[in-house]
Amino acid sequence: MQDTKETLKYIAQRLLLMVFTFIIIFVICFILIRLLPIDQATGAGQDPETYYKMQVALGRMYKTAGGEYVKTPVLTQLWTFLSNLVNPSTYVASDGTIVTTSRWGYSWQIAWLTSPSTLLFQGLPPTVLINIYSMIISIPLGLAAGIYMALKKNKWQDYTLSVVVMLFISVPSFVYAFLLQFLFAFQWDLLPAVRADYNGSWFTAEMFASMVLPVIAMSFGSIAGFARYTRAELTEVLTSDFMLLARTKGLSRAQATIRHAFRNSLVPIFPMILGQILSVLSGSVIIENIFSVNGVGSLFLSSIQMKDYDVFQYVGMFYILIGLVGTLVVDISYGLVDPRIRMGGRK
Amino acid sequence: MNKKNEQIVQKSNFNNKYDLKSIPKEKFKFANKNKDLHDKAFETKPVSFFHDSWNRFAKNKSSIVAGIIILIISLFAIIEPIVDPKAHVDAIQYPSGFQDTNFALARPYNSIFANTGWWDGKQEATIGEDDYNLLRFTDSNHQRVELIEEVVESYTIVGLEFNTTKYKVDKDTYAVGCKYVTLSKDEYENLVQYEKDNDIYQKDNSIMKPIVDVSSYLSEVETELAEKGVASTSIDTIIDRMTNYYNSYPDIYYKLFPKETNGQYSDTKFSAVLENGEPVPIYSKDTEGNLVYSKFKSSEYTVRVDYFDYFTYANGFEPYYLFGANQSGQDIYLRLALGARFSLLLGISVSIVNFLIGLFWGAISGYYGGNVDLIMERITDIIGNIPTIIIMTIAQIQFTNNTSLENALGSAGVLILAILLAFVYNGWIGVASTTRMQFYRFKGQEYVLASRTLGAPDRRLIFKHILPNAAGTLVTSSVLMIPGVIFSESSLSYLGIIDFSSSGICSIGVLLNEGQSASLAQNPHVLLFPAAVISLLMISFNLFGNGLRDAFNTSLKGSE
Repeated sequence: MQDTKETLKYIAQRLLLMVFTFIIIFVICFILIRLLPIDQATGAGQDPETYYKMQVALGRMYKTAGGEYVKTPVLTQLWTFLSNLVNPSTYVASDGTIVTTSRWGYSWQIAWLTSPSTLLFQGLPPTVLINIYSMIISIPLGLAAGIYMALKKNKWQDYTLSVVVMLFISVPSFVYAFLLQFLFAFQWDLLPAVRADYNGSWFTAEMFASMVLPVIAMSFGSIAGFARYTRAELTEVLTSDFMLLARTKGLSRAQATIRHAFRNSLVPIFPMILGQILSVLSGSVIIENIFSVNGVGSLFLSSIQMKDYDVFQYVGMFYILIGLVGTLVVDISYGLVDPRIRMGGRK
Repeated sequence: MNKKNEQIVQKSNFNNKYDLKSIPKEKFKFANKNKDLHDKAFETKPVSFFHDSWNRFAKNKSSIVAGIIILIISLFAIIEPIVDPKAHVDAIQYPSGFQDTNFALARPYNSIFANTGWWDGKQEATIGEDDYNLLRFTDSNHQRVELIEEVVESYTIVGLEFNTTKYKVDKDTYAVGCKYVTLSKDEYENLVQYEKDNDIYQKDNSIMKPIVDVSSYLSEVETELAEKGVASTSIDTIIDRMTNYYNSYPDIYYKLFPKETNGQYSDTKFSAVLENGEPVPIYSKDTEGNLVYSKFKSSEYTVRVDYFDYFTYANGFEPYYLFGANQSGQDIYLRLALGARFSLLLGISVSIVNFLIGLFWGAISGYYGGNVDLIMERITDIIGNIPTIIIMTIAQIQFTNNTSLENALGSAGVLILAILLAFVYNGWIGVASTTRMQFYRFKGQEYVLASRTLGAPDRRLIFKHILPNAAGTLVTSSVLMIPGVIFSESSLSYLGIIDFSSSGICSIGVLLNEGQSASLAQNPHVLLFPAAVISLLMISFNLFGNGLRDAFNTSLKGSE
């Protein structure tokens, strides 16, 4: 009972700390981004009049007596932004109706006057799908390879697999993404090189086929990572004293390995898997760029390339939040999985 | 009982024999009376920690090989730009380094493999008849195309069957045919002198080729078309288009005629006029009937040259590219050396800076612990959670828009400053946390306590007692940081987040970016060579770092 109470207290503490960290990071990034020079919106269908009107409505600019538009000071902008989160400001549209502004600003370049959250939610399905497919492949394969290597430790099977694992960990992911695309899509013409267009369903055969290459490209790295980690953990457990005790009690090698070694070696691997599950939301910028996935990673990249600061800030914060929550979940799950690790214990 | 008696009996026997109790005093003397006694010096050599580590490292074959590969790539990056003539071309003629768009996307060529069908600068392609003729009929000194086989494709449109002949050919990407160049009077005379010296002046294999007389031939075409009853407006269009066509292909030295289909003359498709399977030349001739080799106009000579030979003459080296050329005709081999040099320099300098900052930060936070540690950890937490990509973007936009900074550092300097800032601002966190861990590990140990009791100040404890013990781990972590930095830099510049285009800096990431825009399907060599080099670099650094880690791990001592 005392234990549960302490655990809950620890989790609450960490959560509070995380929120605090996030707020500080947010303020830093907000100020840095708002200090960037603004490129005036130009392009088809983007009239400067609307642009300035929106900027004023969002509290980022004000009109001087001379009719010029001037940036408001950054800290004032921060205050306006925070109060807009609670109570969004309004402006008068061209047809005379009163419209509330978006809380998170607008996309000025990628899709004129679309809320960044809309763009992010458009990008989520392909990213999440590709990540989930990749997880479904990489976790069992990685674990299996790691277990096999640990059981065959210092035999030729182990050496061969270790070399392969080392190659996949060292070689940058974009290199084998290129190789896969070059061989399977261009040379042998077996699979599509880029993601198929969305036509009502994410689960068509065509869509699935077009996702095979990015999924494989993403899986290689994590299979190798899981395999190496599992091998290290399992070999450590297999050589520990309690395994000898289990054998002396009369368990066969298989029984001892399955009942004692596996469970214990999974202790540090389980949090790693939890961390992966959370990161399905964030896309790999490089892989999404190579295979034209148009997911979250691509959105982030185009917001950088087109200098669409509101989208950049929104997606960037999304990535930071996922990173923070991921670390938190992993840390807490360590304590939950292994009772020996006392959470928040003194050093 | 029995046994004891036996022993006593034996002892007394011994005593009787030697009578130990009554040895005379004179028989005793000191064994080393006139010698000074010292501890013996060790005959074996002492093995220091680093010597021991080196021994262990030397046993690790793969790390040694990786180290050698890193050395080779570094030497390549240093030496290649020094020895390659392409790196020392005239700065006025080539302001942004060597490039020649005539050889854009040329295939990799290695003289050892010439004419073997692999790595010989040739490209296999299936082309139509017009393109084939364009390549086949040339008065340049090099064969531009080699026929592999003719492919007859048949297709049906609205019930009618058509046959087209396609040609599967081996195209020599270096035999670019003839081009027009303008020369000053001196340059022209030098070229003529060179040709005379080499006995090729106005011969078949000369560099300068006869000028083509397009305008008088086209007036012939005009009259011929008029005789065939083609409307004068369409004749004008045809002649215009043909003039353009001749101008854009200086290779065409022969008669062309618009293609005819059902009495209609095409104004876009022109085919060669053949007599006995050979094209009919339309070289311009002077009043005495001799071929004309140059046009003189406003103090400049315009000549038609065999471009490959002219290039060799003008630059002093043959325009061969070991790894092929990119879309702007730059040498990938040379640029790889420059890119590897930049990447290695960046990786090493960022690692050194990160190492120093991390060491300092981690030492303070780990040694003092408590509230100092708590506050410093919170700060690293905040810094570490802002991704490099965000800082990189912000720093780059902010710095490149700052005119005074750009004037002081130049456009390349500003970019490098932004890159350094982005990689240093959170790169040291890894080193800091390793250092902190090591300090937690060692600071409570008895030897440190003993030194502290003897009155050693904090400085001495940190630098003399704790750091040397942690050195191995720290060195390893900073060596393993180098491939990390190279990887991040090349992926960011590949994605175009670091925009090197205006600065003239070449990094492996830039090469990868060019490779992707050169289309992987048609020109794989532009991408594959840089990808191979960066993979090799990453693998070697990782193996080398792993070897170092094992070498510094004292618990492995004697286990092999």
